[in-house]
Amino acid sequence: MRLSIDKLSKAYGFLWALRDIHLELQSGQLVALLGPNGAGKTTLLKLFAGLILPTAGSIQFDGAPFAPGALDLRRKVGLLSPADHLYDNLTVSENLRFFASLYRRRHSPAALVQTLESVNLGPRRDDYVANLSSGMKCRLSIAKWQLLQPELLLLDEPYGVLDGSGVDLLEGFLRAHCAGGGVVIMASHHVSRVLQLCSHALILHQGRLTFNEAKQQPWPSFDRAFSEFLPHGGS
Amino acid sequence: MSLLSETFLLLRKDLLLELRRRDSLLTMFFFGTLLLFVFHFSFDLPPDKVAEMTPALLWLAFLFTGTLGLAQLFNAERENHCLDALLLSPLDRGALFLAKTSFNLILMVLVEIVVIPLFWILFNLNSWNLLPQLFLVTFLGTVGFCVLGTIMAAITLKARARELLLPLILFPLMIPIILATIRCMENVLRTGELSDALPWLRLLLGFDVIFLTLGVLIFDWVIES
Repeated sequence: MRLSIDKLSKAYGFLWALRDIHLELQSGQLVALLGPNGAGKTTLLKLFAGLILPTAGSIQFDGAPFAPGALDLRRKVGLLSPADHLYDNLTVSENLRFFASLYRRRHSPAALVQTLESVNLGPRRDDYVANLSSGMKCRLSIAKWQLLQPELLLLDEPYGVLDGSGVDLLEGFLRAHCAGGGVVIMASHHVSRVLQLCSHALILHQGRLTFNEAKQQPWPSFDRAFSEFLPHGGS
Repeated sequence: MSLLSETFLLLRKDLLLELRRRDSLLTMFFFGTLLLFVFHFSFDLPPDKVAEMTPALLWLAFLFTGTLGLAQLFNAERENHCLDALLLSPLDRGALFLAKTSFNLILMVLVEIVVIPLFWILFNLNSWNLLPQLFLVTFLGTVGFCVLGTIMAAITLKARARELLLPLILFPLMIPIILATIRCMENVLRTGELSDALPWLRLLLGFDVIFLTLGVLIFDWVIES
């Protein structure tokens, strides 16, 4: 898949959250989206997800514009929000079955069980989501997107609620997703961890894309940009 | 997946959640019943005023009860940002509208099945043979209420004072439905015939069809903007 963003801007009232973003992403890229608080990371993810409309500019998937009416394109986009987008009063397996039906993904009961086993939620499949911890909800979200298989997967601060094995699980999933030809864009403040994983880094500052490069070893240009815009960042 | 199968999928999910939480139906049921008792203890219903007052009192109860249901219509989607999860998906927004309208319609019909006979018992009315015709008229009015109410509930979804805003914008728009339904019911209670109320019945049907079609067509704009 090819993702093209041209002159993308978003304003909330008189405040510009994003201005003139140009970007080209290809299959297999795992992109770290970095920037200080209020830089526009979540706004950019929401624009990619089609949850908000741009004030100007366009997003294209393989040359097709991503407009509100483009329902078929929506099947290609997933947003992993750690403890969100799950119904509290449905069970773990009911949530998965509901979203799989919504995305028209056929699956056997065995595949569903296998997916839950892969995130260590097999024994909890009949529990209500309300009774899960935040980390378990995040694992369920990972299982959900494993099952739905979007081409573009967006993640907003996924590390905060996961324990060590959960982080390994997530990173394994993201690597497999990119190896399968998908694209991942991950916004995070866990800079050192994201940099180990990514193949590409973007830095947003005050709504502008100030850094856009493929990963190198060593990476002096990133270090300069990072120290300029994220003087207190990193973990 | 077709519009209808998506609608069924969402409706099944909403009914399952309601079955587990029971908050909307119980609130509506108790409020509707409470209103009837308030009416019962507040005034008598003389025989010559039955046709005139019964439809108005019943619809007063349905309007308030239905508004309570509408205010909670998107509660499940508000939790954990599940509305975003639905909007992120390839779901036809028209299906979301039809599912929410059907869900609210089912709740209101269940409440009406209890409230209308209870009204007859409390006010000692003996025209039980007219109930099927009254139920039909009430059903058509309820469809109109739910259709328009779902659109308005979606418009006020992100408003801060939505519980106040919803009736403020819904009730004036509901006037044609309320008027047509009350006139139809009045005719049935006076003459025992539905045929005398045909012009009002046509207005009611027309309103239902127009707003149902409009809702399916514009709901993507309503819910995403």
